[in-house]
Amino acid sequence: MNKHQSSCGWTIVKNTAVAGLLLLLAGTASAQDFDFSRLERKARESAVLLQMQIEFSYGMQTNEHQQRLMGVVVSDDGLVVFDGSFIGDDNPLSPMSSFAFRATPTRIEITMLDGEEKFEAEYLGVDRVTGIGFARITGAGDRTFTPVRFVSGKKFAVGEWLALYSLLPEFARPSLSVNVGMITALVETPESFPLTLGFNGYELASVAYDSDLNAVGVLGVLTDPSAGDMAEMDFYSEQDFPLLGIITSERLNAMIADPPVKGRPDRAWIGITLQALTPDIAEFLRVTVPGGIIVNELVPGSPAEACGLQVGDVIYEVNGSPVPVDREEEIAIFQRRISDMGPGATVQFSVLRPFDDRLDTLLVSAVLEAAPLAASDAPEYEDMRLEFKARDLVFSDFQVFNVPQGSIQGVVVSEMREGGLANIYGLQIGDVIKGINGTPVVSVDDLASLMTGLDQQQPREVVFFIWRFGQTLFVNVKTS
Amino acid sequence: MNRFLAGFVILFMTAGAAAAQPASVQEQIYAARDRVLPALVHIQPVIKDYRTGELKKQAVIGSGVIFDSNGYVVTCYHVAGKAVRILCTLYDKEEVPAEYIGGDPSTDIAVVKLDLSGYDKKISVADFGDSDPVQVGQQVLAMGSPLALARSVSYGVISTKDRYFSSDYRLPSGEETGRFNLWIQTDAAINPGNSGGPLVDLSGRVIGINSRATFLANSLGFAIPVNIVKEVTAAILKDGGVIRSWIGVHAQAMQELESYFGTGRDAGVLIASIDPGSPAEVSYLKAGDVILEVDGESVSARFVEELPAFYKKIAGHAPGSRLKLKVLRDDQTYTFDVTTGPLGDLQGEDFECTDWGMTVKAITRQMQISMQLSDTAGTLVAGVRQAGPADTGGLRSGDVIRMVNKQPVSGLTDLVSLYTQLSSERTSKVLLTVKRGSATRLVVIKVYEGQESKAGTSDE
Repeated sequence: MNKHQSSCGWTIVKNTAVAGLLLLLAGTASAQDFDFSRLERKARESAVLLQMQIEFSYGMQTNEHQQRLMGVVVSDDGLVVFDGSFIGDDNPLSPMSSFAFRATPTRIEITMLDGEEKFEAEYLGVDRVTGIGFARITGAGDRTFTPVRFVSGKKFAVGEWLALYSLLPEFARPSLSVNVGMITALVETPESFPLTLGFNGYELASVAYDSDLNAVGVLGVLTDPSAGDMAEMDFYSEQDFPLLGIITSERLNAMIADPPVKGRPDRAWIGITLQALTPDIAEFLRVTVPGGIIVNELVPGSPAEACGLQVGDVIYEVNGSPVPVDREEEIAIFQRRISDMGPGATVQFSVLRPFDDRLDTLLVSAVLEAAPLAASDAPEYEDMRLEFKARDLVFSDFQVFNVPQGSIQGVVVSEMREGGLANIYGLQIGDVIKGINGTPVVSVDDLASLMTGLDQQQPREVVFFIWRFGQTLFVNVKTS
Repeated sequence: MNRFLAGFVILFMTAGAAAAQPASVQEQIYAARDRVLPALVHIQPVIKDYRTGELKKQAVIGSGVIFDSNGYVVTCYHVAGKAVRILCTLYDKEEVPAEYIGGDPSTDIAVVKLDLSGYDKKISVADFGDSDPVQVGQQVLAMGSPLALARSVSYGVISTKDRYFSSDYRLPSGEETGRFNLWIQTDAAINPGNSGGPLVDLSGRVIGINSRATFLANSLGFAIPVNIVKEVTAAILKDGGVIRSWIGVHAQAMQELESYFGTGRDAGVLIASIDPGSPAEVSYLKAGDVILEVDGESVSARFVEELPAFYKKIAGHAPGSRLKLKVLRDDQTYTFDVTTGPLGDLQGEDFECTDWGMTVKAITRQMQISMQLSDTAGTLVAGVRQAGPADTGGLRSGDVIRMVNKQPVSGLTDLVSLYTQLSSERTSKVLLTVKRGSATRLVVIKVYEGQESKAGTSDE
């Protein structure tokens, strides 16, 4: 039923230098088992060069930048994947968007490696979990492309070798580069996410082939807290560096069939903050399951609250399959599982509820909802006269403010031009505008209509009632 | 009235002196020096710092001045406030121990008492003057131990007598400071180590206690006006500290907002914010109200420089007083009865859980408000020792411990007794239930794994 629930996997691959040594000890197949000339021809068919015009913005400052990077055609009508990890629409750990460095592709030109053919492409979005970006070639008419076909059903094994093809885009005539490495570990989880620590420095979306010349995945990120995932924010983990691995065909084919779209709430959440059931905690709770998730907090109005979960509950199964999370680092396993099910899915949790003298076992059903909006996707209003931007409050704002969800109403100042009226009269980024001239403001629609009305009246001053660091104050912006 | 008279006295004295025998500025400086310098004290306290998850003792250096023949010395709270021991060096270079008497972080003033049992000479005492009539441009001397260089005198003028600083500023020990006073700004050189030393006028009277300087700037020093110091030291000698009322309003200067709120010039104090659960909130005051009168007396704060006087007026009542506030709201005036509460301690008492590798702090009402906690229940984790048991278990500073081994922790006393019991039993695994923001987390602390318990856990 759920397309992501098959046994897809990630694969840990070590790069050649280390793997070469391991090879001698292990005595398995070698790099020479690969038919590199055939592989290179195959890789060439679908590799393309992307020349991307990118708008970088920091606060209200923006500048344009050209970037060359590798793309891989993944469908015959011209869907292209690339390393999208740098397209930071939003950083959930500092959701004030102007603290975050934002990069937005504005124009993509695609050059085929064979024949110098050039096409325009439209940027679609980035999968926030894996960092894989998607674009679609436009204006190619009836021309069909030769895509990589990712072969499903691959059984990865430790010790197996993979060849990873990436492009060296720096050169005037970009050439393909191959790296061979060995699978060093499979991280077996219910969803089987093997990671890799090898191939760091390689471009994400580089294609991995096995020795049978089958494309079996691409290089991607298992979990990267800076990648801007609201669901990740919900399930905050302390991991602060991305783990690279081979994103397997199953997951890729699912994304290819339904590519991510910027701003589309396609991920689900239940609305809890959580921690791992470590063996130490399990001992205290007298719980004998091999792992689980402890509910730390229920977001008001969330599916978790509606379905009757309680703070302190231990979720040890999702839809009947175990949640073997016993370290904080593994929380991503649970997060991914929930977010992949998609909004509207019904999920059944097996729950242990510890009391002082006993342990109750419950089955709890929840209907998942769309994960909350990322700050960058929240509706925004730009005031040209006072030179500031404000947006609707989102889930992560309340976490940053360290106040309960929904406890403040208003819109948050997200950007401001230095020397502009809002700036010189003392409005600050991160201020929550609660009212203007005595009228409450709850959304950017309120703000927009108030500010538009004021534009017509041309008042000499606008008095903002704002919330800042736990206190309120009035800010008078002189407009004449 | 007072202000006028005091100003007049100074002018009269200067004129009188000039008529009798003209004293040169140099002679006046010598005379002022001789009246205060012998009472100058070089102070070397050892203070406690709990911020890193363990009690660290730190030797600091500051200045002070003897203001009472019993050997009381005024200095800054940030110099002597958390002192475990204090060594003083008098102007005659004799070393004398001292004990901490009391302090007031809100004004950054503290009092220590010299132990004169081993000192056979008579001590000198400096006179407190009057800081109200001081004038911008007036010549002053700063005395103290800049960069630990004891017995240093510098010279300058009063640059400003009503310098305002936002009370967002916090002392190293965590207390918000500066809400109730303005500062005298001087260009007499003031450096680290001058803290607690006197700012002296040319008649040889203390007009301020130097407390702050501006780094990376020249000649920007700030002294707490002596009239504040006089009140605070008297309260410390009487009660060990200053007892203040609190109603939980944050005022904002009215300038530029008068027409918006429909008030006249110099009429009213604007309430910008109300602390949750405060007497003001309980009495239905709200942000945007303008307080026109307190107990029948007009109040106003058109400029930020007028805010400390308003806060001081409220604070000056005994906790539990009923204040009648006349308030302007939506062009109507209303009278609100507000029963003040005690301001209480700004920061709670500290404790080191040595074996668990963490320091904790009692949560006071003011901490609860500034940290946006839902209540004062539990004990705040002030710091975790790096790689210690608490750190390894995932505890973080800022967490609030609500339970230890499922026993409730309502405050520091509970935690201390649970800790003392568990560490004396050498319990090797402890379950803490903590609040992190609005989440409730479980943390397991594992101790004594193949190691001896460290003795000594309590603070003094």
